[in-house]
Amino acid sequence: MSPTADVREQILEANRQAAEALRTRFLQEKTLVVNLISSPGAGKTTLLEATLARLSGKLKTAVLVGDIATERDADRIRKLGLPAYQILTGGACHLDARQVQGALEKAGFGALDILFIENVGNLICPTSYDLGEDFKVVLLSLTEGDDKPFKYPAIFARARVALLTKVDLLGIVDFDVEAVERQIRTLNPHGEILRVSAKTGEGMEAWCRKLEHALAAKRA
Amino acid sequence: MHETSIALEILKTSETILAQHGGSRILRVKVAVGELSAVEPELLRYAWEAVTVGGPAEGSCLEVDFLPARQVCPTCGPVPRAPGAWVPLCLSCGAPLLVEGGKELDLVQVEFEVDGEKP
Repeated sequence: MSPTADVREQILEANRQAAEALRTRFLQEKTLVVNLISSPGAGKTTLLEATLARLSGKLKTAVLVGDIATERDADRIRKLGLPAYQILTGGACHLDARQVQGALEKAGFGALDILFIENVGNLICPTSYDLGEDFKVVLLSLTEGDDKPFKYPAIFARARVALLTKVDLLGIVDFDVEAVERQIRTLNPHGEILRVSAKTGEGMEAWCRKLEHALAAKRA
Repeated sequence: MHETSIALEILKTSETILAQHGGSRILRVKVAVGELSAVEPELLRYAWEAVTVGGPAEGSCLEVDFLPARQVCPTCGPVPRAPGAWVPLCLSCGAPLLVEGGKELDLVQVEFEVDGEKP
């Protein structure tokens, strides 16, 4: 018999520790942190543009954006006159907590009410990495097909909020909203589901109110 | 495909453990991967073969213990299910089910060889 060592620790222990350090910092700073995860093209940046337009004036916000290449997404947020920092992952399919720590040092956002982390467009890999956020939000757009939750159960089981985006396309594309909502509820009975359209503004009020409530709860 | 990043983390920790025990070569590493961990066991094994080349874990076996999630009715208890198949409501009473477990992504055990000792 060869010697064995019993371990029982998380494989992503180093990330977990970095995420806990971030969580402690965000708690001290009383900043609500939301980690947005979706496939490419589900509308993360468009949702953020519409969200920030509604919250600006009331709350101090900033965005960390993860992408494999280009500053395009951060530029779109900066055009609104709001702070954004682009994390270029150089090929990696997800953000990890140490990248977020490094980006925050460089970005120098100052005191914030809400920090949005727009993850790399990918419905699988970002799921495994805790970024010290208060909660994950998964976006699923109506153009993606209505079998996604059961195909990618890990993210739908974890995200506290699921946003069905581009609902202005309801009736134009074949998408069974009720079936999708049933799948999400099966995977995550305590999660919340919101139907939104950044284009028409549908559901945006409820989404922004949800963020404000979460911030108030964190500061209570 | 983040299985390579995950395999590198497993390797880093396993090598630390090997050094702590004065071992010379890693023979087998056991990990637990939950159904809702977003990690694909098969891809993880391929990644392990690739990241271990040229080091003390080269040729070692990555044993993946796959842990399915459980669906539980608050009144009637666990509902039988196959991995990947989700039961919408309790088969007996129709109540919504809770999802438990399946999020594990753990390093469980490292088996190694110490120079000069017969395995």
